[in-house]
Amino acid sequence: MKKKLVSVLLAGVMAVGMLAGCGSSKGSEGEESTGKSEDYDLTLYSINTTDPDFDDWLKNVEDATGLNINVIAAPTDSDTRQQKVTTILSTGDDSVDIIEINDEMSAAFKNSGWLEGLNDTVMTEDVRSQFAQGYLEDMITDKDGNIVGVPGYSGYLAFWVNQEIMDEVGITEIDTKEDFMKYMEAASGDGRYGYGGSWEKTYVFNEIAQFVNMFGGDYFDWTKAENKEAIQFLKDMVDNNQTPIDQIADKYEQMNPKANDGKYGSFFMWGLGTDYEKAGMLGEDKIHMAMVPDFSGKGERAIFTDSWSYVLNSASKNKEAAIKFLQYMADEGGMEASYKAFDRYPARADVAEKVVPDTDPAKEMYSRYASECNVSGRPMLPQTMEFITDMGTIFQSCMKDEISVDEFCEKAQGLVEKYSE
Amino acid sequence: MTISKKSMKWIPWILILPVVIIRGFTTLYPIIVTLKNSLFDIKVLSGVNEFVGLANYVNVFKDPKVQTSISFTVIFVVVSMVFHVVLGVILALILNMKFKGRRFLRTIVLIPWAMPAVVIGMAAKWGFNNDYGLVNDFIRRFVSDFQYNWLINTSSARAAVIAMDLWKDLPFFAILVLSGLQFISGDIYEAAKVDGANGVQSFFRITLPLILKNVITLCIPFTLWRLTTFDLVYAMTSGGPGEDTSLIAYRITTEAFTNLNVGYASTLAVMLFLVMAVFSFINIKFMNKLAD
Repeated sequence: MKKKLVSVLLAGVMAVGMLAGCGSSKGSEGEESTGKSEDYDLTLYSINTTDPDFDDWLKNVEDATGLNINVIAAPTDSDTRQQKVTTILSTGDDSVDIIEINDEMSAAFKNSGWLEGLNDTVMTEDVRSQFAQGYLEDMITDKDGNIVGVPGYSGYLAFWVNQEIMDEVGITEIDTKEDFMKYMEAASGDGRYGYGGSWEKTYVFNEIAQFVNMFGGDYFDWTKAENKEAIQFLKDMVDNNQTPIDQIADKYEQMNPKANDGKYGSFFMWGLGTDYEKAGMLGEDKIHMAMVPDFSGKGERAIFTDSWSYVLNSASKNKEAAIKFLQYMADEGGMEASYKAFDRYPARADVAEKVVPDTDPAKEMYSRYASECNVSGRPMLPQTMEFITDMGTIFQSCMKDEISVDEFCEKAQGLVEKYSE
Repeated sequence: MTISKKSMKWIPWILILPVVIIRGFTTLYPIIVTLKNSLFDIKVLSGVNEFVGLANYVNVFKDPKVQTSISFTVIFVVVSMVFHVVLGVILALILNMKFKGRRFLRTIVLIPWAMPAVVIGMAAKWGFNNDYGLVNDFIRRFVSDFQYNWLINTSSARAAVIAMDLWKDLPFFAILVLSGLQFISGDIYEAAKVDGANGVQSFFRITLPLILKNVITLCIPFTLWRLTTFDLVYAMTSGGPGEDTSLIAYRITTEAFTNLNVGYASTLAVMLFLVMAVFSFINIKFMNKLAD
């Protein structure tokens, strides 16, 4: 009998143990911290600690603000990071004051009350007017109009092309849908594809939304013909071997080596091309940013912008110091430090104009994106990751011929309705 | 001063009290809270916290994502355990043979088991990649134009996950079986040989019956570990393609910590607990029968 009892209890402990962390209010174990929190003015939960210039950046911030900052390294894996941040904020954990969050987290948390409003302290009218207004409104303003974060940089889901492949197939520009299709046809074959992406179920929504936008659709309305046209276009590319079905297992870490190896003629990607630079593949004659093609035929080009924002934990006991930190990060000095240390393009237009040298190839393209494209934040709903994952799952099924494009659109509309409730 | 027998009776209880208190907080409390939460609709992000009775339990049977998780979990546990037993016993028999380098082989065979599952999962993600993976690189040495991405099709992704699970834990299973083999006296085999038994007969008439109880005992924790496997798919496939490799433990973690549907995740955890408890109970009954 005792054996049975012990065995049953053991089974229970194993099953329930997986949820035992739910109630914890003092998280952050396991992450690397630079020291005892009581010696510091505030604690920062950072995604940049693995950058070789992080220490220089930290010194710059500490010198400029006079703050002694404790840093906790956020996990590099996106799922784990989101789980950790969610646990910290949802349990009222006050061991972290400032957290860097991405748009997915921002969409999930901005109306939760876990983040402090910054309208009167940091993002005052004169400061906020320098940021991209569409981004501020779409991504980091809560339902009461409070801005809850300071964008750490400005990024675009840029269109990248491999110039070597373009030269080889004799295509000089990809300006319209027809140009794009011609390039697909010419560049694909022998294990090479005109277009490549990262279609892992939690990543692919960027590209689905990008193509829907390019076709003039609406990610939240799958009854629109343009949405169906976009999905059909992607499906045709798969069927015609112009983009590989293999990429449904790929995140960016799998996609970028393929881009560097010349397997992809074009792709959409965030950032300034650090991975291509490291591989010696960044440049006007190799891999470089290009203008997003106009698929609408009306001269309308669509592009998404993103950022990681610094937010203030509502449960923080060091709000005064945290606000001082945020004021610096929203200021020219903080943005310049981030640009120099992490290659993060300044989120403030006035600072970018001053700080970024004309020799930076991103400057021209970023300013063209800003002026020639319809710039918007990505379409997200509060149950962000659940929505993203479910959309990714049905998209993969569609691309693998398990469901038709019509069924995909029907299911996608169902998901929009489910998660909009 | 003498201590009465009556007061002596309480001393053991006092001595184990700290452990009972710690266990109470770290084990019983989470179990009770999970049971309670399973009856509520708790969505952390939207602030919902409502008593729904058994609605979560009913929803489990309607949720296609959970259905997929359950079906793969059953496949994963059954296939993996069959291979654990068959290959584990074979490997143990090999390790029990007398040959040069046996000690070295016994040592290195445990290396996969000593590696964290997350590391193995991340390495396997690359290992099964069509362009850069060592699996296809190896196959291409024999079939030069071989092209296949293991992690994008349901059956091959599932096979890859099971293969990695076996690669990691099979040696440990084999070493534990080996410990059972070493208790069998060589005299029994000598006597059987004198009576004319060949190797196969010796295995089925002597070895197998003598290690059977050992193997069944091992099957209990190994099956429970398979039922709670999460880290391998987390790092290797993120449950994909689609939801096809989402083991039930991965589904629970996703619901609890990514989707923040704490009530629903608790329901799944309670149901998994019941399955594990029933499995353990049946297994012990079977073992007792075997002992009789």
